[in-house]
Amino acid sequence: MLVPGAEPTDEELAAGAAAGDESAFESLVERHQTRAYRLASRLVGAEGAADALQEAFLQVFRELKGFRREARFATWLYRIVTNAALMQARRHARRPAESLETFLPRFDADGRHAGTPEQLRAAARAEELVERQQIAGMALDALSRLPEPYRVAFVLRDLEEISTAEVARILGLEPAAVRQRVHRARLMLRGWLGDLVGGQP
Amino acid sequence: MSTPLNCASGVELVMEYLEDVLPADAKASVESHVARCSRCRAFLESYRATPSILRRATEVRMPEQVEASLHAFLFDRRDGA
Repeated sequence: MLVPGAEPTDEELAAGAAAGDESAFESLVERHQTRAYRLASRLVGAEGAADALQEAFLQVFRELKGFRREARFATWLYRIVTNAALMQARRHARRPAESLETFLPRFDADGRHAGTPEQLRAAARAEELVERQQIAGMALDALSRLPEPYRVAFVLRDLEEISTAEVARILGLEPAAVRQRVHRARLMLRGWLGDLVGGQP
Repeated sequence: MSTPLNCASGVELVMEYLEDVLPADAKASVESHVARCSRCRAFLESYRATPSILRRATEVRMPEQVEASLHAFLFDRRDGA
C-alpha cells in the first residue's frame, strides 16, 4: 500500500504498475528515463539509444508481473536497458572498427614500462580536450571499438558509476570478472587517450 | 613472503588495488613498487584520470523529442491495448 505523502520506492511503484496502476508505470518511466537514455547512448550511440529505450520500457511494462519483489527494480531495469542497447548495437554495426587493443600498455623484456613517465602520463592531459569539448564524438566511437564485454562493464561501472557489486548483479557475473573487464577497458581507453595527445601506451 | 613485482605484473593488480580487494601482501607489494617507480606513478595518474575523462566526454541529455516519442510510444500503445 502506498503511504500518502511519502515518495514510493521503485519496488512499490512496480507492484502498483503490475496491478494495473497506470500512473505508477508512468512514474517509473519518468524516474528512470534520463539515466536509461544516457546508459543506452553510451552503449550504442544517439541513433540507437531512442529505439533501445522504447524497447526496454515496453519489455519492462510487459514483464512487470514477473518481476521478483526481492530484486531491486533498478538492477532489473538496467539489465533490460543494457540488453536492448546491445541488440541495437548489433543492428547498427557498421564496418568492423579497428579494435582498441593496440593501445594496451607496452613493457620491455624485464616487464618494465616502455614509455617515459611523461609519455605514460599523457592520457591525463586529455582532460583539456574535454574542457574544450573536442572529444565527445570521438569518445563514443572509441567506446564502440572496445570488445563488447569490456564496453558494457566499463560503461556501467565507470561511466554510470554503479558499484562493482551492483554491476555484477546486473550482468550476472562475479565481481572479480567485472573488475577484470573494466580494467581491460580502462587500459585500452587510457592508451587511446594518450595517443590522442601524442603519448605512448 | 610478498610476491616480487614488476611494472607489468603490477598493472594487472591496479583495479583490485584501487577497489581495495587485494590480499595484504599483494597490496604491500604494489605500494612498495609504486613508491620506487616513477613510471608506475605516471601510469597510475593517467589510469585514474581515464574514467572521468570518458564520463565527461559522453555526458548527454535526453532530447525533448526523444522523451516525447517515448511517452507517446509507451502510453498510447498501452491505452490502445
